[in-house]
Parts: sequence; C-alpha cells; structure tokens
Amino acid sequence: MRSPPTGNLRKFWPASARRGGAAVLLAASTALVAQAGFAPDSPAPANRPVKVLGAGYVSSDACRSCHPGNYASWHDSYHRTMTQVADATNIPAALDGFERAFDGWDYRVERSDGRFFVRKRPQADAARGWLEPQQIVLLTGSHHLKIFWLETGEGRTLVQFPFAYIVEEKIWAPVVQTFVLPPDANNFYAAGEWNGACMDCHVTQGRSRFVDGDKFDSQVSEFGIACEACHSQGADHIAQNRNPLRRYALHLGDRRDPTIANPERLKAAAANLACGQCHSVWAFNSMADKIAWNREGVKFRPGQPDLQQRFVVQPNTPDHPEQKKMIRDTNPHFIGDRFWGDGMIRVTGREMNGILASPCAKGGEFSCLSCHEMHPKNLTAAEQKAWTSDQLKAGLDGDAACLQCHAKMKTQITAHTHHAAASEGSRCYNCHMPHTTYGLLRGIRSHQVSSPTVAESQLHGRPNACNLCHLDQPLAWTADKLTAWYRQPAPALSADDREIASGVRWLLSGDAGQRALVAWGMGWAPAQQAAGREWLYPFLLATLNDPYAAVRFDAWKSLRTLPGFTDFAFDYTMDEAARQAAASAAYARWRDQVRRAGALYPAATILDPAGRFRPDVLQRLLSQRDHRQVFLAE
Amino acid sequence: MNTSDRQLRFGWWALLAYLTLGLALEALQGFKVGWYLDVGHETRRLMFTLAHAHGTLLALVNLAAGLTARTVKGFELAASASRSLLWAALLLPAGFFLGGVVIYDGDPGLGIILVPVGALLLLYGVVRVARDLSRVKE
Repeated sequence: MRSPPTGNLRKFWPASARRGGAAVLLAASTALVAQAGFAPDSPAPANRPVKVLGAGYVSSDACRSCHPGNYASWHDSYHRTMTQVADATNIPAALDGFERAFDGWDYRVERSDGRFFVRKRPQADAARGWLEPQQIVLLTGSHHLKIFWLETGEGRTLVQFPFAYIVEEKIWAPVVQTFVLPPDANNFYAAGEWNGACMDCHVTQGRSRFVDGDKFDSQVSEFGIACEACHSQGADHIAQNRNPLRRYALHLGDRRDPTIANPERLKAAAANLACGQCHSVWAFNSMADKIAWNREGVKFRPGQPDLQQRFVVQPNTPDHPEQKKMIRDTNPHFIGDRFWGDGMIRVTGREMNGILASPCAKGGEFSCLSCHEMHPKNLTAAEQKAWTSDQLKAGLDGDAACLQCHAKMKTQITAHTHHAAASEGSRCYNCHMPHTTYGLLRGIRSHQVSSPTVAESQLHGRPNACNLCHLDQPLAWTADKLTAWYRQPAPALSADDREIASGVRWLLSGDAGQRALVAWGMGWAPAQQAAGREWLYPFLLATLNDPYAAVRFDAWKSLRTLPGFTDFAFDYTMDEAARQAAASAAYARWRDQVRRAGALYPAATILDPAGRFRPDVLQRLLSQRDHRQVFLAE
Repeated sequence: MNTSDRQLRFGWWALLAYLTLGLALEALQGFKVGWYLDVGHETRRLMFTLAHAHGTLLALVNLAAGLTARTVKGFELAASASRSLLWAALLLPAGFFLGGVVIYDGDPGLGIILVPVGALLLLYGVVRVARDLSRVKE
C-alpha cells in the first residue's frame, strides 16, 4: 500500500481551490443564517386573539425537549385542543358549503384559500343580500362539541358562529340547542363574550385586554390548556435548569424543584386547586380583581393555597359571605343554574365543587389526582386513546378507584351492596358517583361522592342513584331498600311516591334538567339492564317533542340504543310541527313494527298492558311538570 | 503483540459487538418495544442509537489506526494513543448506553458521565496519531 502523502496541506490544495472552497462555504453559511435567523415573521393577525408570551410564560414548545413523554401525553389530550386557531385541519370539512337558517338569519359558509368565512343575511330582508364575510378564526372544544368564533372587525373581539358541531354524531346544531337552555334563548352569547369570559379558562394565561366599547385586544400565552396552566410559568425553571449539575441534583435527590409546580407532588388541597382553577364554579373577589385579571391575566399559580383574585363558590359554606350575597342579589339564578337545592353541583366542568363537598376530601388526602392523571406512562396506543376520554389512572375506571382507600370493602362487596358482586349494582361509582351532573348533552358522574337517599329526590329533585338504574321503580321501593339495607330513616311518602316509577315522574313532571338526565339515563346500559327496555319506547318517543332541545337530543340518542331504532334518524333541532310529525311517525313505527308481542309493562310505568299511556295519569303528571326556565350553566 | 495488532484485533471484535447492538436495536424497533420506542423514552432511544453509532465508528477508527500503523513506513502507533483509542471505543458507547438505561425525562442517566471521558481520550488519541504521522520522515 502506498504511503499517504505527507507535508504541507498547500501541496494538495492549490490556492485557487482553497479560495473557491472558502467562497462556497461562506455563501452556504450566509444562506443558512439568513434562512434561520433573518426570515421575516409573518405579521400577527389583527382579527383574533394572538399568542404573546409574558409574565415568564414560555409555552409548551419550550417544555418539549426536556419532557418529551409528558409533552406527548399532553399533546394527545383534549386539554391541548380546548381552543385552537381555526384552520383546515381542525374545522370539519363539511363546513365548506354549509347553509342553514337560525333565528331570522340565513347563514352560508365559504372556503377560500384554506380559510373559512361565514356570511349571513336577514331572512326578513333577503334583498339586502349577504353581509360582509366574517372569517372563522378560533374554535373551542374538540372532544364532544366544537364551537366556532368569528372575527367582528372590532380588533380582536370575537363573536360566536351560532352553530356547533357535535363530534360523535357528526351533526350541526344551533349552539343554544347544545345546552340545557330555555327554548327561546336564541342569543345567549354576545360579541366579546369569548374575550370577556370564555378565555378565562379555555386558554393558558389569557388576557382579555378590554379596550373600549365591545372592543378587546386579547392575548394568550398559549391557545388551549398547556403545560404552564398546571405547572406555572416556565421561564425561571428553564433558566435555572440549564445547569446540568442542578438538574442531576434534582434527579438524584428528593428535593422538589422550587422553580416549577408539580401537582402530583402537591398536597391534596393545592393539587385540587391546580385543576379547580378552571374545574369549579368560581367568582372574582372584587371588580378590581376582575379588571386586573382582564389586563394582566391570572395571578394564581399552581401550588398556591388559594385562587388569589377569585374564590370557589360553594353555596353552603360560610366563606365569602359578602361576595356570595352580591352574586345572589345581582343574579338570582346563579346558584340554581349550577347547583342542586342541597348545594351539590349539577353541571359539568365544575368537578372541584363536588370534590370539596365529598366526605372523602375531609381526610385531606383526596384530590383529583387520586383517580386522574395527566401524564400516563407505558400505555399501549389503545390504552392511550382510552385515557384521553376521562384521563383516569390505569385501572381506576372501576371499583379500584374507591378501594384505594376503602380496601376492606373488597371482601364485603355483596354484603355492602346487596347486589351480585359482578353486577352493575355492585360498582362503587354507580351508587356513590351517579350520573346527576349534566353537560355536553349527556349525564356525567357526580364528583361529589355521596350515598343515595330518597330525600335528595324528594327535597331537591335530584335523581337518586338507585332509581337512576331502577328507573321503573317508585321511590317507595327505594326507601324500603335503603331502610332495610342501610337503616336509613323511612321517609314520608306520597301516593305517587308509592305507585309511580321514579323515572316516569322525572321525565314527565321534572324540570328540564331532570328530564335531560333521565332521557339520557334511559339509554344507559346498566339502567336498561335493571329496569328493562320495552317500556322505555313510548316515553322516549314522547320526549322527542320536549320543548328543550337538549332533552330531545338525549331522548333521540337513548332511543337509538333500543332494538328497532338503532338507525333512527331524527333532527332534534327541527321546528315543533316537524318534530311532532317525526315523533308521531316514530311512535307508529314502534307500535306497528317494533313492539314485541308479549312484552310486559310494569304498572308503575303508567303503561297499560298494551304499552299505551294511561291517559289520566299521563295528563296529571304532565300538568305537574316543573316549567321553570332552566339554564344549566356548564 | 504490538499496538497495531492489538488495535486490529480489538477493532474487529468491537465492530462485532457494536453491530450486534445495532441488530438488537433493530429488533426493538421491529417488535415495537415501548421501553425503547415510546415518546416518553425518546432520550433512551437517542442514547442507544448514539451508543451504536459511536461504537461502530470507533471500532472503525481503531481498525484505521491499526492499518495506519502497519502501512505507513516509519510510523509507530504510540502506546498511549493506542490505549486512548481503545478506551475511547469502550467508554464513549458505554456512556451513551448506560445513560439510556435509566433516564430522567430529557436527561440521560449518570452513565453519561463516561462520554466526556471517552471523548477526551478519543481526542487525545486522534491528535497523537495525527501529530506522529505528520512527523514521519519520507
């Protein structure tokens, strides 16, 4: 082998080649630097809230490199997509060409250059033509509902597109018909409502920045609920942890990193607040706090012992008496729109109110993170997908959640529940966290751990856990069981309490909130298993014409769980005449084609042996209906 | 055994070991082993990949050093350079590998401490070989 040439480099690289090489290197470096560092940023859009970092917030982009696993689990979560800048990837394609009318206006959606624009015109004055297009700039929600926000031409102030997308059903509906809202409440969200209220919780470190009139210049640290919402701002954490010695001292020691909050390491009360800063009914302590919040954003940081500018509104606790009085004076419906009569929360998204009122919380160890986790590890893809729905710890979607503390119950399940150990009646959740909370067009488990009583139904109208399964049984049946099994005092009972199924009474005589819960509950598999299915048809069919849209939706959904109606198409947003016609046709279909010969209809369900309503009882119960206007402020 | 023989022998065995590690990593990929592939284990994947890549490269460096010593007249691989290159080929990949066994989110485990030690040895070995080669008289 020939020896390699030795000696001066210049022998092998003549001067001309060296100069050429240097020139190429210089040009390449210049191009790279220009591309990386000097490319002009596109100007911030002027027609919507924008991301502007401040107060030490750095956004999730800065967390990713050091916490890739936690970033990934957050990225999979619906917290991330709670609010998104609207683009072609997150707006349902079906919105292109969308045309619908609502509340006296025709709406039309057009797509242009990857963006979506809404145009509207007054139905009463169609000759006026379509108004100027408004771009859809943001959307809220991604799991169950997507709600869209339009530019207004008033700075970064937004107004709601009046139609929402219901994800599971892939249908559009007026937003006001996706909540339990009085039927005539067609204009619930005014322009600026997103800036002034929604962004309080649906973004990270939002600043409404009210300018004047209805005009806002809103900024966020991050759209959606990101790392810093739960861990506090990250600038100092990042700066200090550039030092590898500091990092490894933290990795290898027990010391907490004081530059960041980790709810998993906080005491229960503080951990609850990290979630409860949004997942609670809260109010500002004072107008000054509200103004400061709107200008500078939230002062509370996870790990702190209270919400600083705000407080959690619990109707029955003695704290903040002046503020609560003011709330009651200025908005007499505030409490009733959110809580049952005994102070139990009845709307979703406010779970901390339930947690705080739970007996479990009295030990000081119980927190949201007793059952939920935000960053699961070592999950399969299927497990990860399942986790995103409720963000429960692995295995805690059943009794194991309660048995963490109530371990002795593990060997006493049947003795305690008086139900077969493997049955739904022996599941802790079903009795102690029943579906008495409502929101997102469905019944949701109460997060106030409690035991069922007849009194809660008699006094406050809240469906008790027993009758949410045993919908076909009257309250007297439940009272007998609770007295015999748990020595609960026997309540005074009316004739209807003794003779008429609770589910029937709630559906016919209850307020809209009760009706929505029971209409949903009639489609719940454990309830159908316990109470039977045959008698549900006429009630659900009749409920298709309920004045409250959300109740109709739940009746329709439950009807689709029953044989013969699994493919039942029904537009719950139709006008009353169309609804009645559709409901009548569906009833005839059940009566003539689906109804099973020999089916038994329990007397307590007020159906005769042929499955027809007993008209006198039906009319009496309908005449007793609670018609008060219900707005469940979820 | 002179240094070039040692370098060649070590180089070939090291190449075998680090290629086998590569095969093992491919198997982890093939069987989609979460401990290696999950996003939360990104650091482990990076460390193991670096261990494989550096090990293979350093095995080749040792082979090159051995071959250089055999083929360049008047050049003798210094014992210190030889040992440095050998230890670099052990410590650098081992540091990456051990750093991936236990990880702290985005940080590798303490084994990573071996990496700068190995890197310094490598640097010394390369500089020494380059310098000694430059001093060889034709």
